[in-house]
Amino acid sequence: MAPPILVDGLRKSYGAQLALGGVSFEVAAGEIVGLLGPNGAGKSTTLGVLATLLRFDAGRVAVAGHALPAGAARARRALGLVPQQVAVYPTLGARENLRFFARALGLGRREAARSAAAALDLVGLAARAEEPVARLSGGMRRRLNLACGILHRPAVLLLDEPVVGVDPQSRERIFEAIETLARGGAAVLYSTHQMDEAERLCARVVLLDTGRVVAAGTPAALVAGAGLTPVLHLRTARPLPPGWLAGIAGAALADSSAPETTVKVTDTATVPAILAAALRAGGDVLEMALVRPSLADAFFALTGRALRDEDAPATASA
Amino acid sequence: MLTGLVAALGKDLRLLARDGVGLVFLTLAPIVVISVAGLSLATLYGAEPRGGMAPVLPLADEDGGWVGRAVRERLADEPSVRVRPVATAAAARALVRAKRAAAALTVPAGTSDAVNAGRAAALVLFTDPVKAVDVAYVHGLAQELRHGLEAAAVEHAQHDLDAARAQATDARAHLARAAEDLHRALDDLDARLQAMRADAERRRAAAERELHTALAARQAAAHARLVAALAPLRTFLAELAARRQAFAEWLAAVREQAGRLADRVPPPPEPPSVPPALEELVSADPDAVAARLIAPDGAAPTLPPVAPPAPPALPAFDLPSLPEPPAGRLPGPLALEETSVTGAPRRLNSFDQNVPGFGVTFLLLGVLLGVSLGLLDEHEWGTLERVRSMPMSLATLLVAKLAARVAVGTVQMALLFLVGRLVFGVSLGPQPWALMLPTAGIVFAGTAFGLVVAATAPSREAVLPLGSIAIMTMAAVGGCWWPINLEPDWMQRAALVFPTTWAMEAYNDLMIRRQPAGAALGATAVLLAHGAVYLAAGLLLFRRRVLRAA
Repeated sequence: MAPPILVDGLRKSYGAQLALGGVSFEVAAGEIVGLLGPNGAGKSTTLGVLATLLRFDAGRVAVAGHALPAGAARARRALGLVPQQVAVYPTLGARENLRFFARALGLGRREAARSAAAALDLVGLAARAEEPVARLSGGMRRRLNLACGILHRPAVLLLDEPVVGVDPQSRERIFEAIETLARGGAAVLYSTHQMDEAERLCARVVLLDTGRVVAAGTPAALVAGAGLTPVLHLRTARPLPPGWLAGIAGAALADSSAPETTVKVTDTATVPAILAAALRAGGDVLEMALVRPSLADAFFALTGRALRDEDAPATASA
Repeated sequence: MLTGLVAALGKDLRLLARDGVGLVFLTLAPIVVISVAGLSLATLYGAEPRGGMAPVLPLADEDGGWVGRAVRERLADEPSVRVRPVATAAAARALVRAKRAAAALTVPAGTSDAVNAGRAAALVLFTDPVKAVDVAYVHGLAQELRHGLEAAAVEHAQHDLDAARAQATDARAHLARAAEDLHRALDDLDARLQAMRADAERRRAAAERELHTALAARQAAAHARLVAALAPLRTFLAELAARRQAFAEWLAAVREQAGRLADRVPPPPEPPSVPPALEELVSADPDAVAARLIAPDGAAPTLPPVAPPAPPALPAFDLPSLPEPPAGRLPGPLALEETSVTGAPRRLNSFDQNVPGFGVTFLLLGVLLGVSLGLLDEHEWGTLERVRSMPMSLATLLVAKLAARVAVGTVQMALLFLVGRLVFGVSLGPQPWALMLPTAGIVFAGTAFGLVVAATAPSREAVLPLGSIAIMTMAAVGGCWWPINLEPDWMQRAALVFPTTWAMEAYNDLMIRRQPAGAALGATAVLLAHGAVYLAAGLLLFRRRVLRAA
């Protein structure tokens, strides 16, 4: 049985500019897969092709078993799109938006009303359903944006950075809603460049860079595969003397420029021993932090590029 | 498809209903502009200014005669100007020069006398050419006034002339009756003379007959006496002849008996011969003799014709036929009678032009910019992309948006006509419902043209100038802001490519010319054709634009 999302050798160019250079991956029913990559990696293009909005040059793409582009009309009935932009009518109320999009999805009047009510409950907006969207907070609008894409309980859910600028509470509600849908059997493709979102939500991730899949797998596997280890950052009152770390297996000095010292830790069980050694050496530890390697670090390790600009210095130093 | 269309239509109507600024723009803005334009440009369309809008007209009567008096009286009753009497022509002229009046009217001294004397005279109008509209109006008014005075004078003269003619006609009739009496008297006299003459003739004939009778009697008596007188002579002559015959016979017997001696017998003496006349008389028929001696009737003396004296020839009293008194019609005043060919009022309510004109302008602003900006909104909000990922077709979304604008535009125009009727008293024509024909056409055409603008304008920033230029051009050239006949011919011909031209043509036919619905059918068909072409082009261009982005 074909997976709900099948992308095989997908190629797409905008004129002379290559956007996707042979992307392949699958998403199974009930699975949440993260599509990760920096800006311009090809995430939105991939989602656009899957959402039947963009034509592609080569490859094989199928949504809910319907090969594109021939099966686009049938695929649209099975997919739900949550675009990066909050794509709703700002002067209409949340319920009005949902009812319209439900009708646009082919639902009947009564079914549309029921779906709208259910979606409002699911994203926690029932109490503000009648207010014009423009009066809702950014987080509420994001939740509404998600609700508009799940009105018909789609078999395939495409999310393009759905929690950008969302407060933690709204973000968690959105995640819960997505997980609920996945538990219901939906195949979810979650595009983001926020590693923590992927790590929180996705069983698997597909790392994209410059239109190509760099790596794919579980987050832990990707980090491990990149050969990254946790690091321990110490700030001491006095500089630590040379050789203070000697004798501690699984720990290696990475950087030392007083009062900051960075130690690579292959086994986090050695952290107490490292702290004890620092104290013995008269370091007088003022502050410590254990930083585990992230998918961003893995991505940097794999591509030499940061997922986000603000990630670059941190990962570069790691 | 249909349920999606209804849903999208409902969505667009809700979006419009929530757009307070847009609703004000669609309703109050055109009413304000129509009010301002209608009141400001009333005279441009030929309406009579009244009250505070009536121009001031300084009037100087230097004549003091009946002409000046008549001018003052007539202008005093004229509500379309505010007459300001001034003493002199110089004062009137000064007011115009001071820009306090567009024109001033002067009745020069001696005007009445000149007119009375049959000399030319003129009223003088001082004008400020900058205030052309007011000047044109006052000029027309002065012409009407002058024409009225002229007509009154002619009418007066005609009245006098008619009276004189009536008198002449009476005199002529009197003379004709007298001549007729005289003719009758002469005829009677002639008849009596003829009768007398005939009577004289009869008398003479009778006398002649009596004379003839007497003569015949006397002839018969003479005849009888002649026959009687001739009878013995006739008998004697007959006996004489017989005796001569007997003598001859005797002589012959003597000679025979004398034999040889016969020769010796001497010849007898010759008897006297009967004179031939006597013989003829005797041998003739007594009647013939009588007739010869007594003249027969025909030869009877006749009375000399008793010719009664011919009556004196009556003089041929033939009055020369008096010519009819000349009609004596002074040349009649040549009035200008203006008749609307459709029976519509002569004067135009300027709002009859402004309500549909500015209504169409704002309609186009609403539907054209509404559609194009609405689609740009959908694009910017991301809802267009979202809907494209759904089963609802792009065409359904577009058609619903256009349908919503068509509905709103139609309501907008209907509302403007209603306000125009209630507030400005515009005419809705003999069949008000017929206004919906061109309204439907222009709303459809404008809405569909909005789709073309949306499909061609590269950005929101481009829609406003592009759409505004298109709307302003179509409205201005199409006759929405002023009567299209003010434009040069070539522009009027060029204007036929714009839907506004056809819409205004239809509105003018229905509202101003007061024609029935049939008059708007042609223009409505053209408008619908415009809309169909724009719609096809717009859908094509918009679809191509969307696909190009994909």
